[in-house]
Amino acid sequence: MLEELVTKLADTPWSIALHESLYMYAITESTHVMSIMLFVGTIAMVDLRLLGISYTKVPVSQMLSKILPWTIAGFVLLVVTGAMLFLAIPIRTYHSLWFRLKILMIVIAGVNIAIFTFKVERDKAAWDLGPVPRKSKICAVISLSAWACVIVFGRLIAYNWFDCDSITSPTMAELTGCPLDPG
Amino acid sequence: MSLYHTAQAIEASALGQTIRESTWLFPAIESTHLLALALLGGSILIMSLSILGWGLQTPVAEIYKSAHRYLNTAVIVLVITGVFLGISEPVKLYGRQAFLVKMISLVVALAVTYFAFNPLVKRGQSGAALRLVTVATIAAWLMVAMAGRWIGFS
Repeated sequence: MLEELVTKLADTPWSIALHESLYMYAITESTHVMSIMLFVGTIAMVDLRLLGISYTKVPVSQMLSKILPWTIAGFVLLVVTGAMLFLAIPIRTYHSLWFRLKILMIVIAGVNIAIFTFKVERDKAAWDLGPVPRKSKICAVISLSAWACVIVFGRLIAYNWFDCDSITSPTMAELTGCPLDPG
Repeated sequence: MSLYHTAQAIEASALGQTIRESTWLFPAIESTHLLALALLGGSILIMSLSILGWGLQTPVAEIYKSAHRYLNTAVIVLVITGVFLGISEPVKLYGRQAFLVKMISLVVALAVTYFAFNPLVKRGQSGAALRLVTVATIAAWLMVAMAGRWIGFS
């Protein structure tokens, strides 16, 4: 079903226009990279506070209320430009192992944010300026690692090591959704 | 020896060849370069947003105490990984406009950051001059990032 969807997407005039316009693609890609500075940059600073190793004179509540809106703005920019990059090259990206791992990492980071928001930060008034609890540190480490992986895997999508035409093992065929090359 | 010949010599060097011929080395260095770029963005923005009145209310000189360490780390990692990336393909970079634009904006960004932004923030200054320097700092680094990405397209 997803396979049909990406095949249809690839035939849309939007996809072809993005794919063939050098400037539009390059501008979108550059905006994606600059948005990383905003998104991962600000979330990393919040995580370093939640680890208790930096910005310890800034209350946790202030860090969350003043910095996270910028993180969300960065995320919106990344999703919009990311969707455009996907739309430009839908079939190859859909089968890309790195793209799939990147989405998995975004899901893990998302679950971590949900746990932090609904459980961990609930009693933050008690540790707003004092020593941060272990649960906060664990969330911060997961967040930093997951977003770092998202950046690295995203960069690796550009490489063709595991493209469909070089898949020879059944496991890789399964992971990438590519047909197994009998050759 | 002309600049072009120097580029050719670097390209032929053992280090240049090693990075170019390895499957994983270039992507690994490139990814580290990007991770450091995110750190640079975060450390500058957390100070800048506060200066512009859109971020933390803690005095900026206090934020600087933590942020400048990450800023320095990011700059060092960016320069080292950047040099390695350059060593692997100097002939391609030679005469490439995006690379030239990146190097010029990099010099501007480093100068504005270390000779204007940092000293003002450290002294706990505020006012229109600092806000102007802040905007210039962000603009310069965005230009570096944009031109850097553009090298791959031109």
